[in-house]
Amino acid sequence: MALSIPLSLLVLWEVFSQTSILSPRYFPPPTLVAATLTRLLAGGDLWGETLVTLNRLAIAFVLAAAPGVPAGLAMGLFRPVRYAIEPYLALLYPLPKIALLPLLLIVLGVGEKAFILTGAISAFFQIVISTLGGVQTMDPRLLEVGRNYGARGIALFRKVILPATLPAILTGLRLGLGLALIAVIAVEFVTAKSGLGHLVFRYWQMLLTAEMFAAFVLVGLIGLAFTRGLRALQRRTLAWKEEIGWQ
Amino acid sequence: MPPLRSPKVLIREVSVVFKGRGSGLLALDRVSLEIEAGEFLCLVGPSGCGKSTLLRVCAGLIPQTSGEVTIQADRPGAPLTAMVFQEHALLPWRTVLDNVVFGPENRGVPEADRYARGREMLALVGLTPFAGAYPHQLSGGMKQRVGIARALANDPEVLLMDEPLAALDAQTRTIMQEELLRIWAELGKTVIYVTHSIDEALLLGDRIALLTARPGRLKQVFPVALGRPRGLEVRASPEFGALVDKIWAELREEVLRTMREEEGTRR
Amino acid sequence: MSWIAVASPLLLLVGWEIASATGLLRAVFFPRPTTVAEHFLRLVVDGSLPHHGGVTVMRVAWTVLLATPPAVAVGLAMGISRRTREGLDPLFAVIYPIPSVLFLPLISFLLRSAEAALVVTGAITPFFLVAYTTMTGVQQLDRTVLEAATHYGARGWRLFLKVLLPGTLPFIFTGLRLGLGYALIVLIAVEMVSARDGLGALLWLSWGILKVEEMYAALVAIALLGAFLTWGLGLLRARLLPWVEDVAGTAR
Repeated sequence: MALSIPLSLLVLWEVFSQTSILSPRYFPPPTLVAATLTRLLAGGDLWGETLVTLNRLAIAFVLAAAPGVPAGLAMGLFRPVRYAIEPYLALLYPLPKIALLPLLLIVLGVGEKAFILTGAISAFFQIVISTLGGVQTMDPRLLEVGRNYGARGIALFRKVILPATLPAILTGLRLGLGLALIAVIAVEFVTAKSGLGHLVFRYWQMLLTAEMFAAFVLVGLIGLAFTRGLRALQRRTLAWKEEIGWQ
Repeated sequence: MPPLRSPKVLIREVSVVFKGRGSGLLALDRVSLEIEAGEFLCLVGPSGCGKSTLLRVCAGLIPQTSGEVTIQADRPGAPLTAMVFQEHALLPWRTVLDNVVFGPENRGVPEADRYARGREMLALVGLTPFAGAYPHQLSGGMKQRVGIARALANDPEVLLMDEPLAALDAQTRTIMQEELLRIWAELGKTVIYVTHSIDEALLLGDRIALLTARPGRLKQVFPVALGRPRGLEVRASPEFGALVDKIWAELREEVLRTMREEEGTRR
Repeated sequence: MSWIAVASPLLLLVGWEIASATGLLRAVFFPRPTTVAEHFLRLVVDGSLPHHGGVTVMRVAWTVLLATPPAVAVGLAMGISRRTREGLDPLFAVIYPIPSVLFLPLISFLLRSAEAALVVTGAITPFFLVAYTTMTGVQQLDRTVLEAATHYGARGWRLFLKVLLPGTLPFIFTGLRLGLGYALIVLIAVEMVSARDGLGALLWLSWGILKVEEMYAALVAIALLGAFLTWGLGLLRARLLPWVEDVAGTAR
């Protein structure tokens, strides 16, 4: 029942494409796309490109999260730090980070470093902003509880501030990962000569549409797996929260 | 000759100024009070009069601008205060039992001891079956019982309660008032209790301290000459009614003053 | 203490200026801020920045115009009807996480005009975000307010215009604010690959011919555009919705 709309869309597409109402040259029938996807996966090429993309994503994410969470916490807890960093945040947070790609290509040369760093920077600012927001919107009474019941310094941070901020941190990490994926795919689409983003681009240029759609579907499945996995992780870590909503 | 017995809590000439625009806001103006060991003192006043501020000064959560608060420590190692917050302020990521042992945990009490103590206090407030639940799974009244158990588990010299029952519905509040009387009779703690309800103050307190509208000054202290143990039936007695009228006559003036001032600032 | 907020960027710019001037930083890669400013001004005066900037701004405007009305309609429908929500949810769940740059080929098969393909590609993520936030907005509406409204005679159209829409407007705005950020990423990326004008194209072309100063100027322009959009939307929100605080926490 829940899958009826997507399924009927697929069936419509299949019929339209088979009967050439929709040009099969540009919109190959879903069955052909599925067959192509299986063939490409069996051939092994697609796995290689997938790994390249996932590898870039993983490094970019770690490069963003490792300094991003502490930076956000420090900004939230220490006012001078916030004042020092805030102006850059205000200017760079709304900047579409993909625009930094040419600069990074010039400075670091055309290669992995520049590709990955574009993804890392994309995620970094989101993680900082979310973490900072978490500290700032923390219920001040919980801090009073901590102090009145003898939690000081590190203990106050570990027992009160960190758990209170954790939902926001996890949200930031999840959004950051999404942004890093967007950036990495965009970089691959625009300039890199490998990865799933590049594959879609290359198949597009060669008008291998069945292959293009197969790669496209694969990206969708990876995205879906990430979203579902992270949501499950967030549910488990935050079992104490009443609900996490649709995000 | 020095007095044989010094008070448990000595509040002397305490003033609090909140920094802000211009000269700041005078929240408390030279309040002095003495609370005896084992006494149940209720702080009553119009909203915004600084009752909660005074409580927070006693807890060391807000620094006073001048004056001093001295709490007589009788048992070495015991914390001076433990606060029960309005709307409970439980740590949502901790289970009920882990919330209750929060204070002893921070003081480095060994795990077995603090959990034994925690379970004991949970039993006292009647929540043993909910030890493993998270706060969001409890009703408002149950959450506040946890808040009370958390304070008791820390075994403080003085128990501070900031309108602990204000957020509850009328029936739950009545039941919780009886519970509080029972627990207090059992443990004999010194309590400073903030409330805006004269009824509640008379039902619970040995004395009632009335604060004026902002800036909060001590207006009058009323001894509550109603017998103990006290139950809800005391509210039907003529003495109770007479005391309510007497305190309300004083409080009414302050409430009206607050309302007039609020209208004045709005204009 | 807020002097730090002024001093810190100022210090960075002065440090950069000195480092590039003395050769500590390679001026080929890191031209002095004053040089960048000169080029920026020159590009403004000769009309190329206004032209490319104008093109990008128009594209942003079109993505918003294309995405918002259907997104609000779908979001309201999903918020009101449980069956619509459950029907569309799996479709959204699969499509939404796909980085929308990848839709460009698909959409350019559908639409012959390259310009239209570009704008529609940019509109995809804002569409999903606004639809989702609108749905959340409907779901959080106070049932008693709805009851009161029907009790006082607001039904059908009137209920929609006087209660449903104003009640969800803060959420729609949050979706738009988030969506604009994503739209800008996609538009700039797509301009880089497949457009001749627009700030992304300017940026990419000046990199291609190694006009580093112009690349920086384009980068500054994009940053300013991003900051301006955020600021403008904030201003608009304050004007249109003076009764609410930001509901960013509920989004995404």
